[in-house]
Amino acid sequence: MDPLSFSSSAAMAQQTWELENNIVTMEPPQSSESDSVFHYDESAQAKIQQEKPWLKDPHYFKRVKISALALLKMVVHARSGGTIEIMGLMQGKTDGDAIIVMDAFALPVEGTETRVNAQADAYEYMVEYSQTNKQAGRLENVVGWYHSHPGYGCWLSGIDVSTQMLNQQYQEPFLAVVIDPTRTVSAGKVEIGAFRTYPEGYMPSDEPVSEYQTIPLNKIEDFGVHCKQYYSMDVTYFKSSLDCHLLDLLWNKYWVNTLSSSPLLGNGDYVAGQISDLAEKLEQAEGQLSHSRFGSLITPTQRKKEEQSQLAKITRDSAKITVEQVHGLMSQVIKNTLFNSVRQSVKTQPESSGPEPMVQS
Amino acid sequence: MASSSSGLTFKLHPLVIVNISDHHTRVKSQSQPPTATSASNSPAPRVFGCVIGVQRGRTVEIFNSFELLYDSSTRSLDRSFLEKKQDLYKKVFPNFYILGWYSTGADAEESDMHIHKALMDINENPVYVLLNPLINHAQKDLPVTIYESEMHVIDGIPQLIFVRSSYTIETVEAERISVDHVAHLKPSDGGSAATQLAAHLTGIHSAIKMLNSRIRVLHHYLNAMQKGEIPYEHSLLRQVSSLLRRLPAIESEKFQDDFLMEYNDTLLISYLAMFTDCSSTMNDLVDKINIAYDRHSRKGGRTAFI
Repeated sequence: MDPLSFSSSAAMAQQTWELENNIVTMEPPQSSESDSVFHYDESAQAKIQQEKPWLKDPHYFKRVKISALALLKMVVHARSGGTIEIMGLMQGKTDGDAIIVMDAFALPVEGTETRVNAQADAYEYMVEYSQTNKQAGRLENVVGWYHSHPGYGCWLSGIDVSTQMLNQQYQEPFLAVVIDPTRTVSAGKVEIGAFRTYPEGYMPSDEPVSEYQTIPLNKIEDFGVHCKQYYSMDVTYFKSSLDCHLLDLLWNKYWVNTLSSSPLLGNGDYVAGQISDLAEKLEQAEGQLSHSRFGSLITPTQRKKEEQSQLAKITRDSAKITVEQVHGLMSQVIKNTLFNSVRQSVKTQPESSGPEPMVQS
Repeated sequence: MASSSSGLTFKLHPLVIVNISDHHTRVKSQSQPPTATSASNSPAPRVFGCVIGVQRGRTVEIFNSFELLYDSSTRSLDRSFLEKKQDLYKKVFPNFYILGWYSTGADAEESDMHIHKALMDINENPVYVLLNPLINHAQKDLPVTIYESEMHVIDGIPQLIFVRSSYTIETVEAERISVDHVAHLKPSDGGSAATQLAAHLTGIHSAIKMLNSRIRVLHHYLNAMQKGEIPYEHSLLRQVSSLLRRLPAIESEKFQDDFLMEYNDTLLISYLAMFTDCSSTMNDLVDKINIAYDRHSRKGGRTAFI
């Protein structure tokens, strides 16, 4: 394999991929402009606080920019909680219709799904932490809160919605972020969502539903009741030039971890939970379908469409689970081929003959 | 500087590196606002902070870090601030202890020993993590060094000097994914199955490419050694030989069984998904036919489809 041709074809592939996915690259790292976002302009922020442009338009903030550091901290904290929900606060500033999150810190409270104002426990901690931070040169204010939904997706539950509505009354500008660490590990990409609630009684214009995600059966009611009371925002990430440089170099040491990661092993019970949840949904859908079979003369076409889309949803969910599993298995098979199928002259080599279904006798 | 002989192995998490880098960038941009004239030539001010983590036996694992105040008049760290911050972090991460401190700069300086000694009452063997913030694109290695202090006899006087230690980068799966995500800006939405597959395989491909290049280097080196261009280095040869002897990685019956079982489980899942997809399509088809051949159509159109 000629390394030269490798890299040029790889470069072409990368460009096509970038084009397909509308990747916007930041400015070249040499310029100091990309780091200007790190500069905290006290007077500009104070001015925005006085003007309060968000009062006129409930849909004012549309985008969120999260720094690499904040994302890393939040995901690590969320994962360290295991199956317990954790929460924390984010610091940053506003910039036009975007909220910029520069940093995040964890709060010593747990289990926010059962209490509305868990933040009250942590006020003392919050105040002390903000004070010490300001001394150490972190000048931004608290601009939102984040918490985790381990395994059941990124959305706001009823309690979350009431908490956020309260926050948006008294602590504007404020943002709610939800992270799902279990799905992150299972899918291999970060599951994160940023939301703002509408004020009480505001009727949003019919928006296109944001990216679909599967919600477990026991939570789906909670989701459905409140899903119209908030909207989600676009999340983008940014990093400083030094971060870029360091992350590039980090890859030199990191590739071992990428190769050795085995998502299948870590997430076994989560996948089992997903499949059993899917089975329940299927039973539910089946029950509805069999009714409509007999009542096909009378029932309007609307109900049929609903059940059909129910089945379609289930199909999408099952496809998603399968894709994740297959990806995990691919890594395992690759590792097996790389490290186990040595000494081919001595043994017969079933592994290298490719993925034919192997039946266990 | 000699290399460390304390026998401790150091593991560094990427979060610490990003933390230090962010601290540095923040302080730099505050002191040199972007409206200032072009490229700043004055060196960025040094930042200082504390690293925390866990020490288990001979392994020191550095998980996180936070900022500290540096008093340049007394050339020491603000002690009360440190303790306040330590309390706050203890509440959220009760397992982590202060393992040492960090700073930015090109090289360890004499004044650093002063700070190092001050921390010795918290941890009798603190580590010093140094990050070089100057972006040097020619550099291939991570500009992070870990120093320990050792007592050496120099000119008859026992002194503490800094010695370098080697470290490995350790990570948990979630950390790896988010670092990957930010580093390579992968597509954040679901995308099609094809893009997901492409992203996944690209990651693995790059990792394997790295592995390949490393092996080539070794191969080249061994070839040169064989031809006699380079003198024999037996310790290296021993390491390479032990590495080779570790292949194949696992060869037991039990592994084969488990591996095949996992394989079959995945195949079963994809079979079920295919089934679900098929039944959903069939369902759609039946519904469409029912609508098209509605037996109670008022126009009395087509006959019922049985």
